[in-house]
Amino acid sequence: MSTHPAPGQLIPLSDIQDIKAVPFGDSALMVSIASGTVEERQSGSRKLREVLQDMRPHGLLDVVAGVDSILVEFDCLAVSHGQLAQTIRLAAASRSFEGDGPSPTGQHFVIPMVVNESFAPDLADVAAELGISKEAVLAHLEASTLTINLLASAMAPMMGRVEFPGQVSRCREPRTNVDPGSVMVAGTNAIIQPFPGPTGWKVIGRTPLTICDIREEPPTSFKPGDTVRFKVVPESDWERLDGQFLRTDSYTIEEEH
Amino acid sequence: MPAAERTLTIKIREAAWLATFQDLGREQSEALGVPCGGAADQHSASVANILVGNPRTAAGIEIMGGRFTFTTSKAVLIAVTGAPADVTVNGNKVKMWEPVCVPAKGRVVIANARGGMRNYLAFSGSLVTEHFMGSAAPEARMGFPQQISAGQHVELKTSYAGFEHPYLTQPLFRLPVPVPSFEHPVWTIDIVVGPETDAAQGIRELLSSREYTVTAKSNHVGLRLDGPVVHPEGLGEIVSHGVPIGAFEIPHGDELIILGRYRTLTAGYPIVAFATKASLPMLGQARPGQRMTFRWVSQEEAVEAQHEAQRLLNALESRVQSLFGAIDLPHHSRLVPSQAAA
Repeated sequence: MSTHPAPGQLIPLSDIQDIKAVPFGDSALMVSIASGTVEERQSGSRKLREVLQDMRPHGLLDVVAGVDSILVEFDCLAVSHGQLAQTIRLAAASRSFEGDGPSPTGQHFVIPMVVNESFAPDLADVAAELGISKEAVLAHLEASTLTINLLASAMAPMMGRVEFPGQVSRCREPRTNVDPGSVMVAGTNAIIQPFPGPTGWKVIGRTPLTICDIREEPPTSFKPGDTVRFKVVPESDWERLDGQFLRTDSYTIEEEH
Repeated sequence: MPAAERTLTIKIREAAWLATFQDLGREQSEALGVPCGGAADQHSASVANILVGNPRTAAGIEIMGGRFTFTTSKAVLIAVTGAPADVTVNGNKVKMWEPVCVPAKGRVVIANARGGMRNYLAFSGSLVTEHFMGSAAPEARMGFPQQISAGQHVELKTSYAGFEHPYLTQPLFRLPVPVPSFEHPVWTIDIVVGPETDAAQGIRELLSSREYTVTAKSNHVGLRLDGPVVHPEGLGEIVSHGVPIGAFEIPHGDELIILGRYRTLTAGYPIVAFATKASLPMLGQARPGQRMTFRWVSQEEAVEAQHEAQRLLNALESRVQSLFGAIDLPHHSRLVPSQAAA
């Protein structure tokens, strides 16, 4: 579609609604936007999640973000599937959804990353798949202002959209253990691995910063709607930054103009 | 009035195969990518707390396998629930699913669990432990293991100061406790339809007529079962979406996965059924080798069963409250029935 709204522009929900709500067991609903482009459905479900978390309808227990859907978990003794689905549709209809883009109250983070053979095992693959140089892959990443769409497993920030010239596929065989701090891409999304664990995303760098620490309150400084820029830094910066908790002022880029 | 709160030390002597601090889990954490976690058998964990006059959400100890032993220099009020096991106080056998008055210099052993996987131990008062996102439940992946080991000293803040019955070493409480049955070798678990039930032709009949066996690959993320499955046909790629606890997934291989409370929050496998909320506590007790069959129920029946389970817990809670009030034992005054996890 060519009617992609500018950031901050308001579009009435009636343009993108048509909300599908399917029972997922006796205590959950799978809610998604039934029509529109992939991007519209993704940003629509993100907005819907924000609306729900903001208004917290009666009986709502938790919300799990998927790629283009939300799982709404509820107390089946407090509300039924039908009642909650109706509440969700009304809530959505009574609000204008903001256009795609960062939240107006969001914070901005600059995240330094180091790129070398061992930190970026998939960089050459990504470059080959996109048909550009490794340097160009990193340049596209650095040039993109990313919005955190959701916190995935173990609070991993999932971000879009990286201005790559194409889509990056996932690893054919997922890695069983990827180190924390790994900066990873798939499709036109980026994510940072907060704790060691398996992943099928392609690893193209690593940040020395600690992005999630359960001893901090809250355990991450970022939240959905915040924006991120990556900055490739020399390996010599690693030691100085290693293990520091990511905050908005952890790393600053000198003004370029 | 109960005595003022004091702090005493529980000395852990034997720590089973695995013992952790545990409660009913996190609230509103899944939106942030952190699974709710919490007691696999929420019913037993809730009843243990209710029986000692605690709020259901209080932290207790979840015990798996082997022997768990602790000693206490001062009197404590405890309850042990979950799989049938042998519980002794200073060598004398005591009942599970009842409040147990442990005297000063008491030694409590919980051992030989059978028919199920987990025991829950609650203490009147509050155990001193760390919390992460409002809960004492382990979140090992994020660096919050909460494991309890032999030799560890656990602090307890309690207003319980001992209770002497004139005739009996252990008083008889006669409370209306909903005790699940672990006797039948083949469990029947209630399920409702899932989004891909119809795409998996024949799965309805298989699940309700054949037997499935829990395998040793099971863990807190999910139960893995051996048994006949059919793979759904005609589905495109399923993009990652949130999956509730109790979802029956059919992965690429010939097995059935029933997701537990520490599931990865999103997945792209076909879902052919969901365990009802009321049947989740039993699934939380399933050990490798456990056999089970499934029974299709409607959403209405599923909700009705959950209503009944909560009604029984509420009835027990109010009986404990009036009993403890009458005999001057400390109890948590319930404000509103918890709508949370249990």
